[in-house]
Amino acid sequence: MDSTSQILAILILLLAMVVSVVVAQFIRRRPNLYALRPIEAYQALPQMVGEAIEANQPMHFSLGSASLGGENTLLTLASAELFYQGMERAAISAAPPLLTVSDPTAIPLGYTMLRQAYRSRDLLGRYRSSSLRWYPAGPRSLAFAAALTAMLGDDRVANNVLVGSFGPELALITDAAVRRNQGVLAASDQLQGQAVAFVMADQPLIGEELFAGGAYLGGSPTHIAGLVATDVLRWLVILAMLIPTAVAVGDAVLDGRFSQAIARLLGGG
Amino acid sequence: MRRLNAAAAAAVAIGFGLFTLVGLLSGPESGLFYALTTVLLQVAAVTAAASILIGILNLLSVHWTRLKDRRKGWGYSLLLLLSTLLVLALVALERLGVVGGSPTPSSILFESVQVSIESALAGVVFFALVYGAYRMMRRRVSGAGILFTVVLLALLLGSLPLPGLGLLASVRDWLAAVPVSAGARGILLGIALATVVTGVRVLIGQDRSYRE
Repeated sequence: MDSTSQILAILILLLAMVVSVVVAQFIRRRPNLYALRPIEAYQALPQMVGEAIEANQPMHFSLGSASLGGENTLLTLASAELFYQGMERAAISAAPPLLTVSDPTAIPLGYTMLRQAYRSRDLLGRYRSSSLRWYPAGPRSLAFAAALTAMLGDDRVANNVLVGSFGPELALITDAAVRRNQGVLAASDQLQGQAVAFVMADQPLIGEELFAGGAYLGGSPTHIAGLVATDVLRWLVILAMLIPTAVAVGDAVLDGRFSQAIARLLGGG
Repeated sequence: MRRLNAAAAAAVAIGFGLFTLVGLLSGPESGLFYALTTVLLQVAAVTAAASILIGILNLLSVHWTRLKDRRKGWGYSLLLLLSTLLVLALVALERLGVVGGSPTPSSILFESVQVSIESALAGVVFFALVYGAYRMMRRRVSGAGILFTVVLLALLLGSLPLPGLGLLASVRDWLAAVPVSAGARGILLGIALATVVTGVRVLIGQDRSYRE
């Protein structure tokens, strides 16, 4: 990594850290300071869990091939937070929620989330380690998808939350769920999986929305502050793209004099 | 006591996280610091490999419970348990030199069973996708749905090797190069920014995985 990239990386991390910490303090004092735009999938999730509880059928959560220790570690943590919010609601059901993973590194995290969900409801006695299922992925994750299509019927799943790392094999899982009249909320960090989720899921999440589960379903100040920090970084990226574009357009119209004028304003040339 | 344990675990995780971050940012020039970071990453990789054992135990215990309780689909669980034991025994015999050959029986089993089945499933994915697109239009006719269908048709028709479809091929190329590429980059940028913020949350100890 060259020195410019190092400095940029440190600046971005520091900015995100400062915004996260400072905004969280403001939101603790004034909880309505930052209004969240409605996201249909997050509005629907509590209802999906409620339907599962009423039908005495399990909710199914799946991380796909999301893992810890690899490139998508942070996606795994964000998905786990979203799952915790759903599992906490589903923990009161007689039919325990199911969590499926295909990467073994996600198993300890999954157990932790399930235990935390039951403990938060003071129902730790109902926790069963068999609520977490590991299905090995195979070379193209299709074996995992095939296992899930069978599980959806065998375990009489009510609704599915498929948020993590999925490729086109998500189509098989979603298709199996739809044929059994099960609801599907889906999102993936892979573009192919994201496209399938948009087309086939009842409730798709797009892009960074899948990282916002904690803020929308839990509403803690630290999670909401994280959204503010993302917004700040997003605006910086927009400015970083717009300013060079404006300079290039200005130069094309004014025959190169625009950038010269800016350089003189900033004290150069 | 539980809180104390959680706090200690969080402190260790945050400490090592910051140490690794600084080590990676400073690069190989930092000498010992970078070497220690590399060792930490190797330890993480070994830990990840060990988690496969947890996975196998989970798989066996889930299917054994299903078989014992005679739950729906217990026959498949029996098949899975027998297959697992068979493959473990086969690999053990290969390692002991009792069974041999090139390619090894376990790799033949893998190639002829798992790869074939996965290839067949890959073919099914296409039909599931087409049905999904049809279902989307049947479920809700929205602006996004119409745009999706029009673009899909343009891309599919533009890919046909038929004469007189030159204009559609140009439209397909433009769609793939400009709006599709821009949209994909937008989604990836959004994910990248949210990932940075999630990383910061982990580094400052705000993540739920630290709590007990």
